[in-house]
Amino acid sequence: MRKRPLATVLSWLYALILAAPLYYLAVSALKTNIEIFTRPFALPAAWLWENFHTAWETARLGQALLNSVLISLVAIVLTLALAVPAAYALARTDSRAARVITGAFSAGFLIPPFAALIPTVVLAINMGLFGTREFQMLFLPASALPLSVLLLTQFMRTVPAALVESAALDGAGHWRLLTRVFVPIARPGVVSVTILQLLTFWNEYLFALTITGTSPDVRTVQVALPTLISDATNLGVLAAGTVLTVLPVYVAYSLMNRRMQEALTAGAVKE
Amino acid sequence: MTRSPRVLWLTVPSLVWFAVFSVGPLVAMFVIATLRWKGLLYEPTYIGLDNVTKVFADPTFHAAVRNSLIQVAVAIPVMIPLAFMLGYHLNTKPRAYRILSVLYFSPGLISISMTGMIFYGVLSPNGGVNGLLRGLGLDSLANAWLADPATALPSLIAIDLWRGIGWTAVLFAARLASVPGEVIEAAQIDGAGRFRTMWQVAFPMVKDYVRTLTMLQFLWTLFTSAALILLLTKGGPGTSSTTLSYLVYAKAFSMRDLGYSQVVGVVLLLFGIAGMALIRALLRGDTR
Repeated sequence: MRKRPLATVLSWLYALILAAPLYYLAVSALKTNIEIFTRPFALPAAWLWENFHTAWETARLGQALLNSVLISLVAIVLTLALAVPAAYALARTDSRAARVITGAFSAGFLIPPFAALIPTVVLAINMGLFGTREFQMLFLPASALPLSVLLLTQFMRTVPAALVESAALDGAGHWRLLTRVFVPIARPGVVSVTILQLLTFWNEYLFALTITGTSPDVRTVQVALPTLISDATNLGVLAAGTVLTVLPVYVAYSLMNRRMQEALTAGAVKE
Repeated sequence: MTRSPRVLWLTVPSLVWFAVFSVGPLVAMFVIATLRWKGLLYEPTYIGLDNVTKVFADPTFHAAVRNSLIQVAVAIPVMIPLAFMLGYHLNTKPRAYRILSVLYFSPGLISISMTGMIFYGVLSPNGGVNGLLRGLGLDSLANAWLADPATALPSLIAIDLWRGIGWTAVLFAARLASVPGEVIEAAQIDGAGRFRTMWQVAFPMVKDYVRTLTMLQFLWTLFTSAALILLLTKGGPGTSSTTLSYLVYAKAFSMRDLGYSQVVGVVLLLFGIAGMALIRALLRGDTR
């Protein structure tokens, strides 16, 4: 292999640019405002663990984490319950109707949910679910459906026809085919969709802000954290809160590094 | 494959869900655009195309169009080629490429609201960037990045690039891994330089994928800038960092004019469609 000094230097330069704000965040989380201002990149003189406690109490992160977990879990169960049967049906038929449905989901995949933010707020009000966690639980699966259905369909198409025929000869109906043949074979797809959409649900911000709102009982972590900003923001506390909120995602990532990378690339590799 | 299409009934629940929560609101946008509606608690009245006239005569809207155009015209042409080159480099498995790919990947894990919080600290007058400049003896360059009309929008674009390039590079690397290595080697044996191999051999082979990702990044940048702007600049100072996406949000929730907001929403959607058509034309796949 020939040496490629320029590419190497540039790739590490960018890595440094990526890492610098994350490092700054981590050290700031243990400092006072004054220390953040005067010695921005130094390690903290005295490690101020109270920042984490203050952030937890002030933004009521405990309740917020609970809300985020609850919304994400219900939404992912609902997403799979809707997308898996649909993908099964689309993988097993090759009619004009099936192609129209696939086309509809492909178009839906391209439209960012933000486009319809305000009408969605109106919908939440009309359903009497404005300011509740329940609306997010119902809404998030809809925004996740196009990609989930398309990805799962691709995975289910890999089920060998011979296997389906022999199972059908044994008298297996749709339910048994789905649970005993298709889902086990498409399991990597189900795992990918689950990881990908859980991350999306966990990280969702604007809809959570405008529909679920900022009331401490129902707000998610993404909404709770920015409430730490004020005219006299304690940057150390803000950084500590950010670390607390980002940490679960990083822990999950380090536990299943490869699976997660596969899932997230699968989401965009879909062609 | 079954001949009976009856199994397609299983798609009905997901279609209904999608229609109610996604298609319905998208259609409603066009209706709301024709209403005079002063906030969600009031009764709307139909005023037809009056909102359109009002929006197109408003200097704030002109500023938003300009800012959105600048944002995508700078962010996308910088992001995609850099990401492709970095992805190509990652795919050659340089030393410590695992560390690199984990780092490149990490902004993809951080939500928009957390990104906002991180850069709130980094870009504040006493924050990380200014601290770094002072440390280098470049005090004169220190600036209130988000509060200066000249740097508010560039700062937001820089954040788009910060999070977008590495993430896209990892995706390109994943796609390039499926290009047969012999093709690249053959080109290099033929004496093609690294740069030429990258752009004239590898790039055409994954062009369709580059186009897909370019479209996605374009739509992302265009539509989702509202969240970061809301957290960091509120569109200001003045209208210097107001984009179309933020204007949709601000008009509905702080300025209480839903009709106006949704006219802008329709414009944004048309922008999105036009941009996708343009990207498709520019990165047309080779006819095989």
